[in-house]
Amino acid sequence: MSRFGVEGSLRAWDRFDAILALTALALVGYGLVLIYSGSLGSYDGPTASLDNPVVRQGLFALIAIGAMFIISRFDYHVLLHYAWWVYGASILLLLVLIPIGQTDFGSTRWFALGPIQFQPSEFAKLATILLLARFLSEQGGDARDLRVLGGSLAITAPVLLLVFIQPDLGTTIIFAAIWLGMVVVAGIQRRHMLFFGAVFLAVLPFLWTFTVADYQIERISVLFDAEEDPLDAGYNPIQSQIAVGSGQLFGKGLTNGEQTQLDFLKVKTKDFIFSVLGEELGFVGAMALFALFILLLMRGIRAAQIAGDIPGQLIAAGIVITILMQAYINIAVNLSIFPVTGLPLPFVSQGGSSLLTLFLGLGIIQSIVMRHRAYRQF
Amino acid sequence: MSAIGDRRVDPGLSRNRPHGNVGVLRIAVVVLFLVLGGRLVQMQLVDGAEYAERSELNRIIVESVPPTRGLIFDRNGQPLVQNSGSFTALITPGFLPEEPANRYRLYLYLEDLLGIPALQIEEAVTAAEERGQRDLPLPIARALDRETALMLEQVAADLPGVTLSVEPRRVYPGGPEFSHILGYVGPQSPDEWRVLQNDGYSYNEVVGKVGVEARYESALRGNPGTSITEVDAQGDLITTIERTDAEGGRGILLSIDSDLQRYVYELLTNTMGEATTAAAVVMSPVTGEIYAIVSVPTYDNNIFSLPDPGEEYQALLNDPRIPLLHQALSPIAPGSTFKIITAAAALQEGNVTRYTRRDVDSSVLEFIGEDGQPYYFYDWRVHGDIDLVEAISWSSNIYFYMASCGIPQEGIAGLGSNTEQSAIVLGYYARSFGLGQVTGLDIASTESPGVIPSPEWKRRVRSGPLFNPEDRDWYLADTCFMGIGQGDVTATPLQIAVATAAIANGGYLLEPYVTRQILGPDGTLLSTTEPSRERVPVDEEHLAVIRQGMRQSVIDGAARLAALPDTLVAGKTGTAEFIDPEDGETKDRAWFTGFAPYNNPQVVVTVFYDLGVGGTKAAPTAADIIGYFLENVEP
Repeated sequence: MSRFGVEGSLRAWDRFDAILALTALALVGYGLVLIYSGSLGSYDGPTASLDNPVVRQGLFALIAIGAMFIISRFDYHVLLHYAWWVYGASILLLLVLIPIGQTDFGSTRWFALGPIQFQPSEFAKLATILLLARFLSEQGGDARDLRVLGGSLAITAPVLLLVFIQPDLGTTIIFAAIWLGMVVVAGIQRRHMLFFGAVFLAVLPFLWTFTVADYQIERISVLFDAEEDPLDAGYNPIQSQIAVGSGQLFGKGLTNGEQTQLDFLKVKTKDFIFSVLGEELGFVGAMALFALFILLLMRGIRAAQIAGDIPGQLIAAGIVITILMQAYINIAVNLSIFPVTGLPLPFVSQGGSSLLTLFLGLGIIQSIVMRHRAYRQF
Repeated sequence: MSAIGDRRVDPGLSRNRPHGNVGVLRIAVVVLFLVLGGRLVQMQLVDGAEYAERSELNRIIVESVPPTRGLIFDRNGQPLVQNSGSFTALITPGFLPEEPANRYRLYLYLEDLLGIPALQIEEAVTAAEERGQRDLPLPIARALDRETALMLEQVAADLPGVTLSVEPRRVYPGGPEFSHILGYVGPQSPDEWRVLQNDGYSYNEVVGKVGVEARYESALRGNPGTSITEVDAQGDLITTIERTDAEGGRGILLSIDSDLQRYVYELLTNTMGEATTAAAVVMSPVTGEIYAIVSVPTYDNNIFSLPDPGEEYQALLNDPRIPLLHQALSPIAPGSTFKIITAAAALQEGNVTRYTRRDVDSSVLEFIGEDGQPYYFYDWRVHGDIDLVEAISWSSNIYFYMASCGIPQEGIAGLGSNTEQSAIVLGYYARSFGLGQVTGLDIASTESPGVIPSPEWKRRVRSGPLFNPEDRDWYLADTCFMGIGQGDVTATPLQIAVATAAIANGGYLLEPYVTRQILGPDGTLLSTTEPSRERVPVDEEHLAVIRQGMRQSVIDGAARLAALPDTLVAGKTGTAEFIDPEDGETKDRAWFTGFAPYNNPQVVVTVFYDLGVGGTKAAPTAADIIGYFLENVEP
C-alpha cells in the first residue's frame, strides 16, 4: 500500500521540522558544555578520548540523531501496527526485571547488558504511548465514553504499577501524566476528570505513606549514582539549592562554580546538571534553557496539532508530555520543590540510552509532521 | 487554533481528522515553566545573596589551631603533668559494608584487635542504627593503648566505617598526692563557655577546673592559632588561605618539692590511726612559698581525663571523708595553736607581760557569770605557778583565759575594758595574723576564710527562729573560749601555718604561694613570684617571747615529741575538743604548728589530724617532716 510506502515521505522531506531538530541539538550542545564543566573534577584524561564524558555524550548524540532520521523515514503506522506486541514485550521486560535486574541502593531499574545498561521503563514509555494512541483512535479518538477511559486506564495501569514497585517515583508520575495528557487531548469529560481526581485524592494518603515514608526517606540514596557516597537524605537538596541560589543573575561563570568544582554537588553531569547551570550561568542561563525547552515543546505541540490523523496527534502529544514532565520534575528536584527522584534532564543530562530514546521520540514526531498532508487527504 | 475548534464541533468530519484538545498542552508547558521560573526568581534573584554567602561558608573553613597546654614542674624541675593522647576506636554505621556477612567479618577482626566481642559491637551498631544515628561516629573502644591505636590506624584504611580518633589528654604522673595542688582539666560548663568563647576558646577545648590548672588557666593554655582553608565536599584541603601557628602554653615551676610532698603524704597516711582526715602545710617563713601542702584522703585526678569518669567520680562524691575537699584549706577549731595569737595580743596590749605569773593550783577555775551563777572552766592539768613562756610551753588554758577575758572576780582585766571589747581586740589581732580571711594561696580551690567571732557576728548568725534571744548575747565564756582557740573560732591549717610564719619571721604576714616561676614554652624564665608581705601590729620583742615559749614547749613542754637531735625546733601543740555528733562523746583533734631552726627559721610546719592529741600525735609527725626537710630540701 502506498500509505506504508516511502514515495509520500520522499516528497515530505521539505516538511521535516528543522526548528524542532535544531532546538534539540542546541539543548544537547548546552548539555555538552555543562557536562564539560561538571566533569572537570572527575575526568582529567586527554580531550580526544572515549573516556571523556563530553566526547562520549557527543558520540551518543550523533548516533541518536542518526536514529532520529531513520525513524522519521518510517511511517509511524508501522509502529502502531505492532503496538500490542511492543507493549506486551515491555510488560514482560518489566516483569523479568523483578528477579534478575540490577539493584542499586534498593531500586531495581536496569538490566546490565555487558557494559550497557538497559532501562525497560524507557522502552515502556514509548510502548504505552503507541498503544494508548492506537486504542484511543480505534475508539474514535474519543475519551468521552467511560468505557474508553477505563480501557485506556487498563493499558496504563500495569506498566505504572510495575514501575512503581521498582520503586521509581519519577517514572511513575511520568506514566500517570502520559495517560492523563493523552485522554485530555482525546477529550475526556470534565465530570470524569473530577471522578479520577477524587479517586486520586482518596489514594493519596496511601501513596504518601508508601512512597514518602518507605522510599523517599529510607531509600533516597537510590537516586544517586552507584559510585557516590550515600550521604544523608538532606545533603543533595541543600547543596543544589546553594548552588542554584548562589548563581544569582549572571552566574559565577562556566567552570567557576565552587559548589560544582569542589564536588559539593553530586551526580552533577546527570540528575543535578541543572544546578551546575544555575550556579555557573545564573538566572540568565536558566532562562535560555527554558526558552529552548519551550520552543522544543511548542514545536512538538505543533506536530500534534497538524498531525494527519488521530493516532499521529496522540503519539505526538504523548511524546511532548513525556519530555515536558521529565524536564519539569528534574528541574523541580534541582530547585528543591520536588523530592529527589533520579530523572535525567532530557537532552542535557549525560546518558546515552536516555538520549537515544528521546531522539527516537523526535524521529516519530518528524514522521508525523512529514506525513500530515498524506493522511489529511483520506 | 480556531481551525481545530471548528473541526471538533463538526461531527460530520472524517474520523481520521484529529480534533484533540491540543491547546491544553500549551497551557501545561507555560504553567509548569512559570512555576520553575518563579522559583528561580525567588532563589537566585531574591535570596541569591544569602545563598552566595552559604556557598562561601561551604568551602571556607575557619578553624582554631589549639595550642599545646603548658606543663607543670616541681621546684626541682620534675614534671608533674604530661600531655598525651586519648585514643578511641569509632564506627560510623553508615559507612560499614552493606552485606551482613562482611560486616560480621569486620566485627570479628575488631574483636581480635581490640578485645571487644564481635556480638557486642554488632549490638551497639544495631542500636545506633535503630536510633537513626547512621552517620554519627560511635565509640566502640576508648582509652586504647598506644600500640593498639597504632595498629588500628594502619588497618583502618581497609576497614570501611572504622576510624581512630585522637584527643589531647592530660596525664598526671605524680600520683594522687598532687591532685589537690594540680587540680584537673575538664570540658567547659555552659556558664564557662559563655565567658570563654570571648577569649577565643572553642567549645571542645578543655579548661582547668580546680587547682593550679584552673588558677593559671590563661598562662597554661597559650594562644590558639587560626587556619583558614578552602576545602572540597570531602573536606579535603584545596588550599591554605591563611595560617597563624598556635603559641604553646607557659610552663609553671612550682615551689612544691615533689619528694617532700610524697614523703609528707606517706607519713600522714601511715600515722593516721583512728583519724579519718589529716592535713599538713610545709612553708617558708621567709618568702611564703609552699614546699608541701597535703590533704588526706586525696583522689586520683587522672580519672577526670577518662572519657567517662562517672563511676569513679560518683564514688568520690559518696565518700563521707570528702576526698575532693582540701583539708589544709578547710577551717576547723584551731585549739591551743591559737594561743600564740592570744599571747601576741596580750603582750602588745600589755595586760600580760613575759613575767606575769599565775598560780594554776587547780585544774578548775570558778567564774561568776553575768547571771551571778558560778561556771567552772577547766585546764588540762595542774600547772602550778607559771609565767607566760611556761604557759605557752605547757599550753595552760587558765593562763590564757586570764590573758584574753581576764578574771573579773579577781579584778584582773582582759584584753579590753569589758568582755565584748576583749573579744573585739582579740579578733583584731587574729585577723592581723591572717585568720578569718582567705590567705590567697594560688590554687583555685574552695579555700574558706574560717570564723573569728565577735559580738556583732554572734548577733548576726544567731538570729532567726532557730535561736532564742539570749543565744545572741555575747558572754564572758565566749571571750574566754575564743582565747584558747575553741568556741566559735575556726581556722585552716594553712592559716595557722601563715600565722606561725609571722611569729617565726619577726612579724611579717606572708601571702602563701605554690607557683615560683612562669616559664616560656621553650623553658625560658618569664617571671618569678615576688613574695608579698605585710607587717603585723605586734612588736618583735613580744614575738620573741612567743618564740621562746614555743621553743620551751619542745624542750620540756607539751610539744616534747617534736624535738630533733640536730635542730632546735620550736612549736605549739593543739588539742581541740569537739563533740562527735555520732556518739555524743567528747573527742580531740590533734594540731601542731612550729618552725625550725629556732634561731634562723627556714621552715614552718603545721600538722592536723581530725582525731588525736596534739602532743603525741601531731608533734612527732611534724618532727619527722622538719627533719626530712632540713636534710633533703634546698630552700
